[in-house]
Amino acid sequence: MATSDSEGQVIGCHTVEAWSEQLQKGNDSKKLIVVDFTASWCGPCRFIAPFFAELAKKLPNVTFLKVDVDELKTVASDWAVEAMPTFIFLKEGKILDRVVGAKKEELQQTLAKHMGSVTA
Amino acid sequence: MAVSGFEGFEKRLELTFSGDDPASGKGLRRLDFFSLEKVLHAVQCTVVSAVGNRYFDSYVLSESSLFVYPNKIIIKTCGTTQLLKSVRPLVDHAITMGLTLCGCRYTRGSFIFPQAQPYPHTSFKDEVVYLEENLPKHLSFKKASVMNSKSCYKWHVFTASDEEDMHADADADDLYTVEICMTELDRVLAKKFFRRFNDGKTGDSAGKEMTEITGIRDVNRNALICDYAFDPCGYSMNGLDGNRYSTVHVTPEDGFSYASFECVGSVYDDREEFFGVLQKVVKIFRPAALSVSTTCPTGHEIWRGVAKAIEPLGMRLRSRAADEFPATGTVVSQAFTTRRK
Repeated sequence: MATSDSEGQVIGCHTVEAWSEQLQKGNDSKKLIVVDFTASWCGPCRFIAPFFAELAKKLPNVTFLKVDVDELKTVASDWAVEAMPTFIFLKEGKILDRVVGAKKEELQQTLAKHMGSVTA
Repeated sequence: MAVSGFEGFEKRLELTFSGDDPASGKGLRRLDFFSLEKVLHAVQCTVVSAVGNRYFDSYVLSESSLFVYPNKIIIKTCGTTQLLKSVRPLVDHAITMGLTLCGCRYTRGSFIFPQAQPYPHTSFKDEVVYLEENLPKHLSFKKASVMNSKSCYKWHVFTASDEEDMHADADADDLYTVEICMTELDRVLAKKFFRRFNDGKTGDSAGKEMTEITGIRDVNRNALICDYAFDPCGYSMNGLDGNRYSTVHVTPEDGFSYASFECVGSVYDDREEFFGVLQKVVKIFRPAALSVSTTCPTGHEIWRGVAKAIEPLGMRLRSRAADEFPATGTVVSQAFTTRRK
């Protein structure tokens, strides 16, 4: 399997094009995608960011994306993001789950739940 | 009463700042997490869960809650935390962000285990002296008062404001705060805040379940809730409804059981809705004693009707005290006990 430079990292999507491209890539590879909807001025986002980055490092088989809700306003509103951080779990274009808030345990548990379905 | 147990009664500090850059409008929310963590460390608590919306950030702490608005911080901690140690570092951090403290409000009930409190919480007098020493000198309009001093529910209030705050939008501000402290919770209801041994749940998922089964979810269906259940017992939640917060904390252990509810509202809101909230809260815990303290702009009597809402639930108003505080408004503390007591 080919590896890319972004593996093990949180990929920031700063344009709608980059975002669409990442989603397409995820759909093609059938990988589990976790998107962190964040804001620069949101304290809880800063609280969870290092933990999210650590998860990305530990789980190279999952794609970790980051979207700034001010940068990609349309994406945030399309995905009905009203609180920050919001984590959305996707696979093959379908929303599997949503974790609202900087909740370490819930984030980890939700990941474990859907990673099972990825390897299956 | 147990010789010693967990102190449920919180200490609550509200700091208001001026000078927020209207361009960014994010003020204190820009404070980096490392600095915030250091402040919390000094107080002796940590963040267990957090969430923010367009208006403010909310944190569930290992001991109660923290709310950060662009120009305001509300921090509430229970147990033997040293809340007032956060004053100076918070004021200093704010200065680096171009914000100046203009108002301070400190409130608390009567501790169940006062002897267990560390300095500066050893007595209200010590707390007031500590605050006066650590607040900037320009906050020269100060007042300290122990309200309802003859009841079992003393209400301690300290406020300090600067000149600007004194003349500022006292009338424009339409928000009131309600702080409810409840003790001797109904035992059956309190049991719902215990987790089963080895339940295989996370604090987040167990918290979510408690929010549902206890009826806390129904207090305000519009609020986004950030909840957490502690192991083996205890519960905390923050609610976010637009720019308004609410918060619930529960220490369910028999002998020193305690629950608190706090929320903000506008004096122009429908009063019936507010009374409905009060009743829902009392029904969740069915305490043997409770106090309702309201702080609101002078001239708006938000305390009126509180007794009428609570007395039909089998409680009786035992004492009521009112006092005015500069730039803060009117504080009214009302204490109730069950009729059978």
